[in-house]
Amino acid sequence: MNNILEMKQIEIEFPGVKALDKVDFSLRAGEVHSLLGENGAGKSTLIKCLTGVNKMDSGEILLDGNEIRPQDPGHAMTLGISTVFQEINLCPNLSVAENIFVGRQPMKHRQINWREINRRAEELLSGFGLEIDVTRPLSYYSTAIQQMVSIARAVDVQAKILILDEPTSSLDTGEVQLLFRVMRELKAKGMGIIFITHFLDQVYEISDRMTILRNGHLVGTYTVEELDRVSLVTMMIGKDFSGMFDMDRAEAAENSQAELEVSHIGVAGKVEDFSLTIKKGELVGFAGLLGSGRTETAEMLFGAVPSSRGSMKLEGHDVKIDSPGEALNNRMAFCPEDRKRDGIIGDLSIRENIILALQARRGFMKPLSLAEQNELADKYISLLGIATPDAEKKIGELSGGNQQKVILARWMATEPAVLILDEPTRGIDIGAKAEIQKLMLKMCADGTSVIFISSELDEIIRCSGKVVVMRDRKKVAELAGRECTQQKILEIIAGAA
Amino acid sequence: MKNSKILGAVMAEVLLLLVCLMIRPDFFSISYQPSTGMLYGNIIDILNRSSEITIIAMGMTLIIALGGTDLSVGALVAVAGAVALKLLRWDVLEYNTPGDYTVCNFFWVLVLPLVVCTLMGMFNGFLVAKGGMQPIIATLILMVCGRGVAQILTDGKQFTTGYAPFKVIGQGAFLWLPVPIIITVVVVAFMAWFTRKTAFGTFVEAVGINRSASRLSGINAAMIIFIAFAITGLLSGISGLIYSSRIMSNDSNNAGLNYEMDAILAVVIGGTSMTGGKFSLAGTVIGSILIRTIVTLVYYFGIVSEATMAFKALIIAVVIVLQSEPVRKYFAKRKGAAKS
Repeated sequence: MNNILEMKQIEIEFPGVKALDKVDFSLRAGEVHSLLGENGAGKSTLIKCLTGVNKMDSGEILLDGNEIRPQDPGHAMTLGISTVFQEINLCPNLSVAENIFVGRQPMKHRQINWREINRRAEELLSGFGLEIDVTRPLSYYSTAIQQMVSIARAVDVQAKILILDEPTSSLDTGEVQLLFRVMRELKAKGMGIIFITHFLDQVYEISDRMTILRNGHLVGTYTVEELDRVSLVTMMIGKDFSGMFDMDRAEAAENSQAELEVSHIGVAGKVEDFSLTIKKGELVGFAGLLGSGRTETAEMLFGAVPSSRGSMKLEGHDVKIDSPGEALNNRMAFCPEDRKRDGIIGDLSIRENIILALQARRGFMKPLSLAEQNELADKYISLLGIATPDAEKKIGELSGGNQQKVILARWMATEPAVLILDEPTRGIDIGAKAEIQKLMLKMCADGTSVIFISSELDEIIRCSGKVVVMRDRKKVAELAGRECTQQKILEIIAGAA
Repeated sequence: MKNSKILGAVMAEVLLLLVCLMIRPDFFSISYQPSTGMLYGNIIDILNRSSEITIIAMGMTLIIALGGTDLSVGALVAVAGAVALKLLRWDVLEYNTPGDYTVCNFFWVLVLPLVVCTLMGMFNGFLVAKGGMQPIIATLILMVCGRGVAQILTDGKQFTTGYAPFKVIGQGAFLWLPVPIIITVVVVAFMAWFTRKTAFGTFVEAVGINRSASRLSGINAAMIIFIAFAITGLLSGISGLIYSSRIMSNDSNNAGLNYEMDAILAVVIGGTSMTGGKFSLAGTVIGSILIRTIVTLVYYFGIVSEATMAFKALIIAVVIVLQSEPVRKYFAKRKGAAKS
């Protein structure tokens, strides 16, 4: 089979990081090719390079054997490369037909030919097996249909290549099948489809080949028959460290009483029926791929997205946590995954960022004096080794690792009983990573119960006394002691166990 | 570094005053008038006349720091006046000439307008904090219908009064100074205390910079926003009492007209960014005084009153451009180059 697209030795460097390092990628006509990797692996960078959003530093792109250099998404589209993003980028208040033809409306006597627009839109969608009223506003229809409309729009501009960036993350099972039917039809017409998703079931159901990236490197390209799920997950997550399980810690936690007991909590469409018991001073790791529901569970426990059912007990007392403020009052703490968006207050100083949660719990009418604030700030700057000349530097000016330490300090200052850390070590250098892991273990030793979420399995195995494995928005296993092996966890994540 | 934004406003103000001094060498002179027990002079006059805006702008600073705006403040000034005058002179048929009397207990004349305005501020706050409306839209409601409410309260009439204690608010003297200046000083001092000696100011800045992160840090962001709007409502009420006491009347159409624009300007000139975040009450006070100085300057220049607005706009444009990010970066670069 011939390749319609070849990307050779693509290199892209962002300040400080090599986002793509000599990556090769090829796409055949009439195939669905999955692009896989965890966050930061370089999937979106590769796509952005293909659609002209990011400029590559070196390498070449061949489309039908001719070298191309897409300047921007519009240019890429005229070349025949269309993209449908996870976030539907259509106009919800325009009609379905208008959305498909916006910017290239068929004209008649210098006026828009509405009849023609509606007729062609209907024709196009019925080709997908969708019989809907195209004059209704887009927002009238479900996300799945909106997704189809956005694919229809992409396809109608005579695309040779269709890129689907996580199109299924907000669809239910039936809707996914509808999408797959359309994908198969397009495939049969000879279109090359690049499919990005976090759902492994879907990868195996629809794709012909898959390419795996990790940390900007190409791990390999395989056909679905060649590679079983466990090997796939291993390749995505990487296995640079064979973790040893620390028995002492597990036994220490064994003897203490339950700190947090949650039973059957859940949020519709995010997490299904989650139960867990954490003991005082225990460190529970949450393993699972991105989109498996680990972050959603953390947000639910902390009240950021309140649970709609089930019950929670803290130190034996029933609690109802429906806001972060409530969680804070119950001595819970949460370092969110997206540090920039949900963690730091960029323009405030390190001192102000550190005292924020403690001050929020006291209420604004009981302010910490400046002397108390400075004392806290200085204490945590030296305790955590935050690299800064003084506490008045803006947190936004610090490096990622130091920002993470400040956020940790913010919660340590509240002396939490339960600390939830969502990917605390992502995007920071190795040194800071080790320090944060050490700190986490020290807090456990001091009696704090810690929930630790990470994409890196070796990190989870090394630090945790108990591992919760999540898949498809569900808790699928709870492993303790000797059961916590990389192999075992990988099998469960892959759904092969 | 922290004060560099305020510095621009201070320099502009000093410059304007110097120009005034050049035109009128006696510009800074202050004299004592024994008959009213008050000091007179241009500086006093500028401070006195800037009171209404300064007071409102204290609240506006918080709203803007939170990333919003409040367009309803001018209308609330009219509402406060209408409520006060209605209470001063309840029975129009019985008393057909304005005089030194009040039909309602003077305590209520002072308190009820403030209560009404605070409630209206809370209404704004509720729409924004709980209803998730954009502040500019939410406050547009009261901006438009506030004056209508004022009209309804007074049956569309313009009442006047001669009640002496009410006159003190806008025209009286205390410690040889006009009372509005004293009220302003008290309000500014309270707001400075409230924002900097409690953690309220820090929370406002945190929510304004990153609402999501603030919420996840346990701050009740909705409550902070609600309080800021309630305070702004109250302050608009105070400003409205001063205004109506100056004219000893209510004027639903013209009281507080364009105050929202002047208040926003005062805040922006004072160095608080419209995108929210760090704020400076001191900067806002200077901004408000600057605006008033421009009006005075226009008068001294002998510029026809029709051109006042254009002239005001010109000076404000210059100040704001000087404070803008590209210009400040340019100067910082030049300064850096000069050093090395």
